[in-house]
Amino acid sequence: MTGMLRRHSWIGALVLLAAFIAGTWGVAKSGFGIQSIVTVAAIYVILAVSLDLVAGTVGLYSLGHAGLFAIGAYGTSLLNRYLDLDVFLLLPIVIVAAGLVGAMLGALSLRVSGLYFAITTFIFTIIVYVVLSNSSWTFGLQGTTGPIFPAFPVATGAVLGRSVVWAVAAVVLIAIVISWSIRASAFYPVLLAVRDAEPYARANGVRSSLVKVGIFALSAGMAGMAGWAFSFLVYQSPGTFGWVASVNLLVMVIIGGMNTRLGPILGAVLVSVFPFVVKIDPFWQEVVFGVVFVAVIVFFPRGLVGLGDLIAGWVRRAIARRAPADATEPPEAGAASGAPTPDPEGDPVVPAEGDALAARGIRFSYVPGVPVLQDVDMVVRRGTIHGLIGPNGSGKSTLVNLISGELRAQVGTIELNGARVERLSSPTRPAHGLMRTFQSAVLVREIPVLENTTVGLYSTVKHIAGRSIVWPLLPGARRDYRAMRERSAAALGSVGLEPSWHPALVRDVPHGVEQLTQLASSIVSEPSVLILDEPLAGLSGAEIAHVADILHRLKARGVTIIVIEHQTRFIFDHCDDVTVIAAGELVTSGPAAEVRTNDRVREVYLGQ
Amino acid sequence: MLQVLLSGLTVGTIYGLVAMAFAIVFYVTKVINFATGQLLMVSILLVSGLVKLGLPDWLGIVTGLVAATVLGVATYFIAVRPVLRFDRFSFAWLVSTLGVAIVIQATFALIYGPASQPFPRGLHAIPVRLGPATLTVQEIVTLAVGLLAIVGWHLVRRYTLLGKLGKAISTDPEIASTVGANVTAFAVGAFAIGGFLAGLAGILVGPITYGNPYLGDTYGIFGFIALMIGGIQRPAAAMGGGLVLGVLSIAANTYIGAQASDWFPFVLVLLVLLLTPNGVFASGDQLRRLFRTRRAYQQGVNA
Repeated sequence: MTGMLRRHSWIGALVLLAAFIAGTWGVAKSGFGIQSIVTVAAIYVILAVSLDLVAGTVGLYSLGHAGLFAIGAYGTSLLNRYLDLDVFLLLPIVIVAAGLVGAMLGALSLRVSGLYFAITTFIFTIIVYVVLSNSSWTFGLQGTTGPIFPAFPVATGAVLGRSVVWAVAAVVLIAIVISWSIRASAFYPVLLAVRDAEPYARANGVRSSLVKVGIFALSAGMAGMAGWAFSFLVYQSPGTFGWVASVNLLVMVIIGGMNTRLGPILGAVLVSVFPFVVKIDPFWQEVVFGVVFVAVIVFFPRGLVGLGDLIAGWVRRAIARRAPADATEPPEAGAASGAPTPDPEGDPVVPAEGDALAARGIRFSYVPGVPVLQDVDMVVRRGTIHGLIGPNGSGKSTLVNLISGELRAQVGTIELNGARVERLSSPTRPAHGLMRTFQSAVLVREIPVLENTTVGLYSTVKHIAGRSIVWPLLPGARRDYRAMRERSAAALGSVGLEPSWHPALVRDVPHGVEQLTQLASSIVSEPSVLILDEPLAGLSGAEIAHVADILHRLKARGVTIIVIEHQTRFIFDHCDDVTVIAAGELVTSGPAAEVRTNDRVREVYLGQ
Repeated sequence: MLQVLLSGLTVGTIYGLVAMAFAIVFYVTKVINFATGQLLMVSILLVSGLVKLGLPDWLGIVTGLVAATVLGVATYFIAVRPVLRFDRFSFAWLVSTLGVAIVIQATFALIYGPASQPFPRGLHAIPVRLGPATLTVQEIVTLAVGLLAIVGWHLVRRYTLLGKLGKAISTDPEIASTVGANVTAFAVGAFAIGGFLAGLAGILVGPITYGNPYLGDTYGIFGFIALMIGGIQRPAAAMGGGLVLGVLSIAANTYIGAQASDWFPFVLVLLVLLLTPNGVFASGDQLRRLFRTRRAYQQGVNA
């Protein structure tokens, strides 16, 4: 069955490719008028696709794409004019140049925030415009013609038509293949996690800043590539590359549908063909265009593709209503469904001796002079369930964030499975066998439960990011993703989520399922140490019993578990050892039974 | 030298007023209204148009100011509120306010054409000698208005609900509304003040620039640069950024070359963005806080 499907998807891709080549051929043989409209629209397709890659998938609104586009176009024209470089040699040069500029902009601006990124890229575009229009070597406001793209030999040209059309088609194809490959790869859920749930991505070993800068650099390189092709088509003047052009590109992406496969393509075609179809006074045209685009953003924030989905949804529901009403509602969360699923990993592991985690002499403060943790020790024996309790504001979450690398302690050591980790950042933790969950489940709401869980395997599979740009073309990558999905499905099964839940979008599932999904994604890579930050928050009684059951099964497999919880009954019933902190200081730490009877604990925490 | 300083401060006040318009809107809503520059242009062109029709100057000026204010509020209702309602954390307002900027600019270009329109000379025709330098009365009024804007904002921040709650509202509108703050009313207030300040800047600079539909672009960008130099978090610092930008631009024009002010502001803002991303004045603030907390820390240690 899957084999069949795979063959079918190949057939689909081949049909699309054949249609694309046939279309290109048709345009290459057609008249100059059609060619100029189609090729320019195609350039905007590349730009919109590249912009959607940063804006849609990692949520960075770049207003710098017009500037990067200019680097590609002017770079090709000017280097060809002054240094007489070959146009084919110029393609990699301008791609790398634009990519490097993108990496620099990203690295500098992402230190601060997403808004700052938008502002910096906006100013970048303005600066490029100012330089282009004020310099004599760029021919100022007047602009310049680009190089001539070498024609086919006469015999070939008679068959294939105009060569530059084929060149444009090739770069469009590259851009679309890269973007669609990333969307089909195991990297895609990771990117969305970087956008929506950064701490979660980092805890799963994703170096999020590097990912953002890398994706922006890739997108910038694609914009440079668009500029290269553009230089053969149209006379270039600074006006084409102003901030309005940057905004227009964002408009294309939004009108078409952000973060969709077809949206940016559709949007780019519509917007760039608009002036040719609506032939009115250019001032009027600008007014109409502006009004249309504000209206789209305000009324259809999901764009045309979103609108299409909406209509398709209505149609589907209308059909479903007519059909007999035995629609398969997903069952209740596994918690309620009773019988625990058999453990897929099998053999219980005998707990090894020694400490899985040792944090010693931890001192930390957010603001100098106001200590949050003072000389706190916490030692967790291997293969135990260890409770961490304390009143609100006692520093539990801070301690966990220090252990997981979200924060760095001013003083103290943290040993994880024998390795010192206190100076390493949070994405390094999975390599040392540590995974964690967060107080409120942070997952990507617009993708299914199963895909969210695969993010948990990011650190175990090599070269996910590097391979993502040609993912579907690599049999090894497809195999890896299949294996990741299978392991994720097994992990979801082991926390009691039945297969019917796996394809459900996270935004559609109840809170309990969300919590269990997070748990599944933290155990899917089989960490040796697991930190659960208030895993019971908002769960029902049956669900709590279910989580307790999961914890004991994990323990039986040899996993060391640290639980932060306010429900002291749960802690004392299920933990081997308990550490109590209050007001940033260690109250006591030891076997649960001893801690329970400790006078100070009863006083400060149990209120007895 | 004095001339450079005074001219720079005058131009800087205009940039500063636009930057304050940006910053006050941001202060309450965490939105940058990219149509702010266009509001400046609207007030200039309305004055030009109405005076041309034979209306008295003062009536034209009042209409221009009212129109800029109303258009500011309209921007909120048309392009910001619906977008934030759909997703409070998205940056879609960035695109929608830029869209409004394009619509306003294109509409005025449609009505007035791209050519420059005369603007009443008014007070700009009266020169005043100050030692070696010469200013016009208009420019002196501009400086006074700039000072007034800083003082006025200080009073608003200290003594009005908008100033006190503004920050809370922008941080979390939902929580702010649970304590009884009418988020919409505050946002409308902020956009109105922003529109008014931009319109005011237009009236002040009109006699120098005359009316042109693309002025909004120029002053919007320079005002935005002033905002980046001063820091987006505090409106008064934005005015400071405007003054710094104005003085340095005029100085660059005088000492580097006549065209220097075309590119100099961009170099300046690039440096600021690279060195102190939160603005020149914010970095001073950070230093001060650092010293203060260190002192507090030492007191804590001594105690």
